[in-house]
Amino acid sequence: MNEDEIITSLKNRFGERVHNSKIAKPRRVYVEVDASIIREALSYMRGSLGFDHLSTITGLDSEERIELIYHIVCGNSIVVSMKTNVLKTNPKIGSISDIYVTAELYEREVYDLLGVRFEEHPNLSRLILPEDWPENLHPLRKEATLEQIKSRLSMNGDGINERFND
Amino acid sequence: MGMGLMSGSMIKVVIGPQHPALKEPERFIIEVEGEQVVQVTPRIGYVHRGIEKAMENRTYIQNLYLAERICGICSHAHTTCYVQAVEDLLSVEAPPRAKYIRTVIAELERIHSHLLWLGILAHEVGFDTFFMYVWRDREVIMDLLEEISGNRVNYAMNTIGGVRRDLDQEKISKILKGLEVIEEKAKKYIQMIQKEPTILKRTVGVGYLSSIDAVRYNAVGPLARASGVKRDVRKDDPYIAYDDISFNIVTRDEGDCFSRMMIRAEEILESINIVREALSKLPVGDISVKTRLVIPPSETVSRVEAPRGELIHYARSNGTDKPERYKIRAPTLANLKALCKMLTGIYLADVPVILAGIDPCFSCMDRMQIIDCEKKEKQSWTLDDLRRYAREWYQKH
Repeated sequence: MNEDEIITSLKNRFGERVHNSKIAKPRRVYVEVDASIIREALSYMRGSLGFDHLSTITGLDSEERIELIYHIVCGNSIVVSMKTNVLKTNPKIGSISDIYVTAELYEREVYDLLGVRFEEHPNLSRLILPEDWPENLHPLRKEATLEQIKSRLSMNGDGINERFND
Repeated sequence: MGMGLMSGSMIKVVIGPQHPALKEPERFIIEVEGEQVVQVTPRIGYVHRGIEKAMENRTYIQNLYLAERICGICSHAHTTCYVQAVEDLLSVEAPPRAKYIRTVIAELERIHSHLLWLGILAHEVGFDTFFMYVWRDREVIMDLLEEISGNRVNYAMNTIGGVRRDLDQEKISKILKGLEVIEEKAKKYIQMIQKEPTILKRTVGVGYLSSIDAVRYNAVGPLARASGVKRDVRKDDPYIAYDDISFNIVTRDEGDCFSRMMIRAEEILESINIVREALSKLPVGDISVKTRLVIPPSETVSRVEAPRGELIHYARSNGTDKPERYKIRAPTLANLKALCKMLTGIYLADVPVILAGIDPCFSCMDRMQIIDCEKKEKQSWTLDDLRRYAREWYQKH
């Protein structure tokens, strides 16, 4: 199946809910889908189009929304970057960890760094940030400044920095 | 440590997290019942350096230096993935000669990384003589990399639009000479791995991963190939000069630590041939093109077969000299779920070999705690303790 056929199949299956599809170059396809069908769409890609590999999930802060990009691969060759987005004020979306096992880790990473809640996730807990990291500071959001992150980091280690300063 | 600690019904063994070498140092809480591993819970992030956030605040040129420092062992894989992404955003292409030089460095890097790993695995099974031989021989490659780039690690060969240093005839003949040495050694290693009882006893049938599970858990690189999954980004999604070079994807069907060892040893031979072919076909011409520093809005997915498997970068530009977003996923994270799968149901004594088996640069996981669930007591174990335990266990069984 080539890049064009992949897009056509997706459009035939999901119609209007698939948009902005493009083939940027050979083996690189980008497509957007409505957040409501992301699970269904990825399930279809995996089950019917042979996309058995999830390379990673990219989370991206774009103003009022958080964009999620699922990078899936067919035959280790064609990479489809399937995009969707959620509102920043209520960032939640269905977990795909039952469709792609490795998504469990990638979703935890996005949860950690951008604060997106993945519903029905088996264990949506911190993966990268310390356990005591504040709930409302999401390092990869644009409003999180380097100064905020630095000052929060310097609080870790029970005053270890003060000890070094002595 | 005495066996008394192991007498509780369910014990949690905490391995890690200290590990400064990789982007993803890890901690594993391993629950054991008797000597059998029941459940494995990974936790990463202890040395997360916030490189992705840092990249959003730096220019594309500055980020080249950050990319070089994502990994100390496969720094060239990361810069290749990075410059490829930025060049794609800019719609420029590196000159053919630069692509070939990138390929040469990439394969030399794979050879030294695989040698490093073979040594580590030998150390894990208690075969330190092999470890020392392999690491001694690895110096041949390290010297070559230093000769070419000026650096043993973080070679800084890549730049946006090409490479920073050329290869002259003198360097080329030095590389070819070094490869002869390594080829002979690698062939000896392959024989030794297949015959040496110390290695066979500790690796054959250990850490089994079926090909179905390798696909299901999205395993990458030598780990997947050792389970018979024929996937290699160099072949399936070719980049730099791999399209023009003939080489084989080495696969094996055993799916155990032994096959992971054989795969890497055999891949060294393939890499040697790739370097030879690349050098024999080295195109003439420039080694870099001038590029702009401001990049119009665009996006790209860049993939590389790093020594440990599929490496993927995603970049989005926004019309400035800094990226809007830069996402990196290194191979070890991709292999984490497969690793947990392999660790479940095995003997505690096999944990070090299987952990090391995915080549996560785990040599520094250096402190663990045993928590006896019933007594709620904690006791610290070092990796050396676990290794000692493993060796004693194998002497008895």
